[in-house]
Amino acid sequence: MPLYFYIDRAGVLHRLHPTVKVLALFVMFWSVYWVDHPLALLPLAIVIMLAARSAGAWPNFYRLRWLFVMVIFFTALAWMVFYRRGPALLDLGIIHLSRASLLFGFGRGLKLAELLATSVVFLSTTKIEEFTVGLLSIGVPYRAGFAITLAFRLAPLFMDSAVTVYQAQALRGYDFNRGGPLARVKRYVPVIIPVFMGSLRKANAMAMALEARGFGRLSQPTSFIEYPIAARDVIATIILIMIAAAYFMIYYSGYGAISLK
Amino acid sequence: MIAKPQIAKSSAGAAPAITVENLSFTYHGSDEPALRGISFIQSAGEMIGIVGASGVGKSTLAKCLNRIIPEFEGGRFAGRVIIGNRSFEDLAVHDVAGAVGMVFQDFEAQLFSTNVAHEVAFAMEQAGMSRAEMVRRIGPALQAVGLAGFEHRDPTTLSGGEKQRLAIAAVLALEPGVIVMDEPTTDLDPEGRAEVFALIQHLRAQGLTLVVIEHETGELRGCDRILLMREGAIAADAPPGELFTRIDLLEESGVRPPDLNRVLAGLGISQPADDVDQAEVLIRCTFPNLPHPLASAIDAPSDSMKLSAETPLVELNDLTFSYAADRRALDAVSLKVMPGEFVAVIGQNGSGKTTLAKHIIGLLTPERGRVMLDGRDRSQLRPAESAHLVGYVFQNPDHQIFAATVEDEVKFGPRNFGLPADEIEHRCAEVLRAVNLEHERAADPFLLGKGQRQRLAVASVLALRPRLLILDEPTTGLDYREQRRMMTLVSDLNRAGIAIVMITHTPSLVAEYARRVILMRSGRIIFDGPVGGFFAQHELLRTSSFRAPEVIELAARLGTIAATPEKLANWIRDHR
Repeated sequence: MPLYFYIDRAGVLHRLHPTVKVLALFVMFWSVYWVDHPLALLPLAIVIMLAARSAGAWPNFYRLRWLFVMVIFFTALAWMVFYRRGPALLDLGIIHLSRASLLFGFGRGLKLAELLATSVVFLSTTKIEEFTVGLLSIGVPYRAGFAITLAFRLAPLFMDSAVTVYQAQALRGYDFNRGGPLARVKRYVPVIIPVFMGSLRKANAMAMALEARGFGRLSQPTSFIEYPIAARDVIATIILIMIAAAYFMIYYSGYGAISLK
Repeated sequence: MIAKPQIAKSSAGAAPAITVENLSFTYHGSDEPALRGISFIQSAGEMIGIVGASGVGKSTLAKCLNRIIPEFEGGRFAGRVIIGNRSFEDLAVHDVAGAVGMVFQDFEAQLFSTNVAHEVAFAMEQAGMSRAEMVRRIGPALQAVGLAGFEHRDPTTLSGGEKQRLAIAAVLALEPGVIVMDEPTTDLDPEGRAEVFALIQHLRAQGLTLVVIEHETGELRGCDRILLMREGAIAADAPPGELFTRIDLLEESGVRPPDLNRVLAGLGISQPADDVDQAEVLIRCTFPNLPHPLASAIDAPSDSMKLSAETPLVELNDLTFSYAADRRALDAVSLKVMPGEFVAVIGQNGSGKTTLAKHIIGLLTPERGRVMLDGRDRSQLRPAESAHLVGYVFQNPDHQIFAATVEDEVKFGPRNFGLPADEIEHRCAEVLRAVNLEHERAADPFLLGKGQRQRLAVASVLALRPRLLILDEPTTGLDYREQRRMMTLVSDLNRAGIAIVMITHTPSLVAEYARRVILMRSGRIIFDGPVGGFFAQHELLRTSSFRAPEVIELAARLGTIAATPEKLANWIRDHR
């Protein structure tokens, strides 16, 4: 199974300037933030799906399909416990099922799913180096930008290591599913400790290798990859600004909220 | 007491590339110095090999050459390191990158980019070079390491050997005067090792100044000088032809002498041999009456697999498995492992060795075919039953160690299976004795050496008393002494009746310890038979990039099959 999300293609989204990609990420998060109603979130979902199709990112969505299902389902369920507004359609004590709690819960689930989906499209179309350039262009210092993007590269390696450690402990008869929810979390200590120690070693080895290759010598290193601004970047930026403005207007006009009536 | 060697310059007249003067270093939190008064001079264009047991200060010395010590890893530092005619005392590690390039063992930790060309450019970006200059340098750097045409490849898709060559290219692009390589091939398969050592020889021929730390002495015969390190000091500084004949000194220092020299020394021949041809000539000159080989005698396997009526411990029938739709990781694999066998499973990375093992232990479920353990279907066994039949020791012991003490780590498995406390105590004492860690019961496992952690991992699996032990690369990263200790343990377990399946890349381990070898390629078994017969299949070895140990090649030239230098020397004495 591939460890990384990046899909090597020459699609339009892949060729966008890194700054525009980071802007797109920001705009999608911005737009999702302002509205709660699932119907208001639906256009964004369509935009993300069109982007995913254009980027050829479906394999990554397929890998995460159960995560998407769980995020939407459990978020909706959780808000039926905590969001107790509106006349009840069904009251099961802890679960308050009303039109408002359904819409709000589903809306929150959809929001999280859209944030996740935006990140998947971003990582499917953006190389680590481009991510760094994108962060630098919005004023993030080089060292911090590099560290953030390196974390994205390392996360799958640590996940891979966690799977191996999990298998090693399971082979020694360890049952991760014994006890209640809190006890189950505690039972992951035999996985967390080796992964943590391994991560420290790996991070130390990487830091040494980085220093040995001259990392940190200049606050603004030169760049091998050049990113000229193209017409598609201008068009994409205009579209993104329009989306951001439209969603703020939806919020401002009150259409994105959920009515309690 | 270690004698202080003379400071030597092998290339008389050549300008010094590295001058190390009275270098000492003690890590923070340690009372024992890691380096004690190291001094040597390396001429420009010279290649120095550094050998020694684990923990004698080889890597510490290497890190002092590019300021990782004391800049990155702090401690008490004394002495001077001069590169060319410049001392870097006041500079940071990144300031030295252009003068001293460093290649590390862990090739995964040295690659940061998503594109080969950009990986090579990374260090040049850090140095502030123009894009035109980067473009000018990338081509020759990739050409030098044999990766021309790979510019647009994602480094994660390269093989281990290619990744390490890419790391070297990234260093070469800065055109440093000195390149230091710290065990650059330890994590590689035989093909990758061969690629990297061929590259090192190529770089040497180009006149680069090289420092190479390596456990395999046979690979360092092309060096100008070898530094033998013991207890943080240089115990010997001599050309390889001279040092590698001092068998006792090397063995006392925890360094494996080249096998050919061990054979010659065992026969009282004091001259060294650089290759099998030379060794054969020396032996035949010394023992002119030695018989010449008959083809049939060479090709006949010395041992044969016993046919047994016992129930196989493992039986795989027509096993097929794929990680991706377009490529089979296992393709109709069938085999049996009988009780008490010692099987080596070999093959290049990605050939299916670990996938095969994961099916036996139940971490993977086959798409087609069946896994039988002791005559029962694997899928029908309860965890406790299968743990009693098969134990698996992962390549990296740190993938399982988590407890606060050695004792708790060993007791972890038996406790999970709910064994009574006295039984757990009994097993713990038994296995710690077996792996020679009984005096470390209360020790923190994370403070043990790699060899001890590897033996602890074995102990913690042995505590479940499996009838078959699968070991995935049990000697990776261990020095000669630790390797011997580890393999003696494995042999003892096998003699005690535990069947062993050992996944390995090391030809000498296969030759010395295994009785049967399974060679895998592209998910299929392409050889399954006795070890002696395997090493007689020269064409198969060549096409598998698996080089027979030199001692086996020499034995074949002389008309016999012998897995160890001692056995071959004995045979020669008996037939002279």
